[in-house]
Amino acid sequence: MTIDGGTFARRVRSERWRLRARRLRSTLHQFGRERAGVLGVIIIAVFSICALVPDLLVGPFETVTKASGESFEPPSFQHILGTDELGRDILNLVVHGARISMTIGLLATIITVLVGAIIGIVAGFLGGRVDTFLMRITDFFLILPTFVLALVLAPVLREVLGESAQVGGIRITLLVIIVVIGITSWASTARIIRSQTLSVRERAFVDRARVIGASGGHMMRRHILPNVTSLIVANAVLVFAGSVLIETTLAFIGLGDPLAPSWGQILAFAQDSGAPGLGAWWYTAAPGVCIVLVVLSFTLVGNALDAILNPKLAGRR
Amino acid sequence: MTEVTAPPRDGRGRLLPRESDPTAPMLQVTDLAVRFKLAKGSLKAVDGVSFRLDEGQALGIAGESGCGKTTTALSLVRLLPANGRIRAGRVDLYGIDLVANDESQMRRYRWREISIVFQGAMNALNPVQRVRDQIAEPIEIRLGKSQTAARARAVELLDLVGIPKQRGLVYPHELSGGMRQRAMIAMALACDPKILIGDEPTTALDVMVQAQILQLVEGLRAELGLSLILITHDLSVIAETCDDVLVMYAGRAMEQGPVSRVFTRPRHPYTQALIRAYPNIRADRRTLEVIPGQLPDLRNPPPGCRFASRCPHVMDVCRTLTPPEVRFDDGVTAACHLYGTVSGDGSLASDPGAVADGAIGAASGPSAPAATADDDAAYGDGIEDEDRSPGEPRSADSLAGDQSRMIDRAAHTIVDERQHGDPEQRA
Repeated sequence: MTIDGGTFARRVRSERWRLRARRLRSTLHQFGRERAGVLGVIIIAVFSICALVPDLLVGPFETVTKASGESFEPPSFQHILGTDELGRDILNLVVHGARISMTIGLLATIITVLVGAIIGIVAGFLGGRVDTFLMRITDFFLILPTFVLALVLAPVLREVLGESAQVGGIRITLLVIIVVIGITSWASTARIIRSQTLSVRERAFVDRARVIGASGGHMMRRHILPNVTSLIVANAVLVFAGSVLIETTLAFIGLGDPLAPSWGQILAFAQDSGAPGLGAWWYTAAPGVCIVLVVLSFTLVGNALDAILNPKLAGRR
Repeated sequence: MTEVTAPPRDGRGRLLPRESDPTAPMLQVTDLAVRFKLAKGSLKAVDGVSFRLDEGQALGIAGESGCGKTTTALSLVRLLPANGRIRAGRVDLYGIDLVANDESQMRRYRWREISIVFQGAMNALNPVQRVRDQIAEPIEIRLGKSQTAARARAVELLDLVGIPKQRGLVYPHELSGGMRQRAMIAMALACDPKILIGDEPTTALDVMVQAQILQLVEGLRAELGLSLILITHDLSVIAETCDDVLVMYAGRAMEQGPVSRVFTRPRHPYTQALIRAYPNIRADRRTLEVIPGQLPDLRNPPPGCRFASRCPHVMDVCRTLTPPEVRFDDGVTAACHLYGTVSGDGSLASDPGAVADGAIGAASGPSAPAATADDDAAYGDGIEDEDRSPGEPRSADSLAGDQSRMIDRAAHTIVDERQHGDPEQRA
């Protein structure tokens, strides 16, 4: 039996794209039925645009520091969200803050999911002593208090790397926040992924792969990982929401970077300037609403994804 | 790289493992015993089973659930669950004792020499990997082919089992049950094995698809010179596909021999009961024949014959002494006291021929009604040629006739279900 390589390969490719498109359409269609999820996507899209191109919306980052109005001006046409104690435009601050908040959230999520998924899959798949060892470590990180760790780690890292050090364009203070969030949140992800791995590991196709002679790494990569990917994705979205929240808290209690104002940092500025006492509600409301919206929308998307990707929930709709 | 001696080859000129002895039988299982360790004690899942498989031959292993069929087959490639151990016996593949091999050595023989079509195709396929890529997997891993080459070969294999090329690109849930089973067979054939173990390959498939799959397996056996071990509780499947049958009960071999002889003239009371329990196409019955009682507790099996507690012909000796395997003239072996003359030390008289003669004489006598008139009446559906003597070889025609009758029975069962069965089954 021979195969006409060229034509067959072409047919295979076109067929593959057709299947992919069909599958994508069906997934999108399913997602479209999750109203809350769609709302979440829209909100995330708006904030993503703010984070990606703040310069187009409110001018370059340098304009943030320029006082363009009076101190504590309430919202007006000139300053839609009012001004802060130094007369800076709060809309400008908030839009630029989106980039910082969301970058921190994204990087922290990547660390969390990467570490959590690897530890979870390895522990769940190998089992036995490796599992016990990794899970005890996980337990330790699970109970580690985020804020205490941040308070300890921030000065240490600053000391080690130098005050103005940058890693890949990210200032050291932000890096501390990212690392702290990553360290304190990967453990629960690892637990979740491990539990799913334990169930996938017992499926017959994993045994079949073992019989064929596949190595442990091959089985984890080709058989376990693809089967827990949906869980990883759904979890990552929720981790993102959590990361933004933790970042806000850390910045608010003074661990943020004053030169890179995230939403949490803006809230801290407002607190320091005594805005709540002076009746300048717009100063705290603007970043506060942004945080709530982003966290809410990511949670909505996460739940929608969970409903679609989790076959057990899918049957209930 | 030059070999000092030519590597051994089998009858069809295929390469054999280097240590193998081409003159040895392809697969010889001797006194295999498998134990499962439980929280309390151990379960004797397989106890002293022996059989032999020659090139191109098909062996069916029959028996009810929990009799050790699957355990026997899985222990050939040592795929037992973690608490299972081969406690005794040999599994010789071309004279290489596989039991003595460690896990890494064993890996060399799996899939290359002996491969398995697993029970339940849906579970054995990764739901998030393309069918073609899954079939390519063993080719990549075991034969060290590139991904492209392995995938091209996988497409060939899919074609061989009757799946169009394009269908290989889908995920398992997009295939029907029969297609999935075909894919599993394609995967089992990936490394050109010599022995294919089918563990309930047609269970959960409807009769039409079942027939297609069996036809496919038959065709592949002829085309590729495969040897087949078919595990099933469906006797009609064995009748249709296999040359030899091994009937197991409670971890022991009860009866084995050529399919035509065992099914038309079952000698062991268990085989008789098993065949009687099979729905009959011609008898006007509304109820099914069952074997009363249940399997003995295999953690602590009773002495003597394992079937003694349910056997209609039970004798005192059955409860104390393990029955010897009696070999009849026509190649059938049965482990039953009805036929055995046991010498004082409990071992079988040395000349099997003499024993067999005596046994058949005994069987036709009134003391042992097992294989005579009684039973002929029990399956008096024309499956038994009354005037044939037990040792006489049968013509191919009558054999085929019998087998097709077995299939008819299967078909009849379905018809019965349509008429009397619950509507859910039909859906």
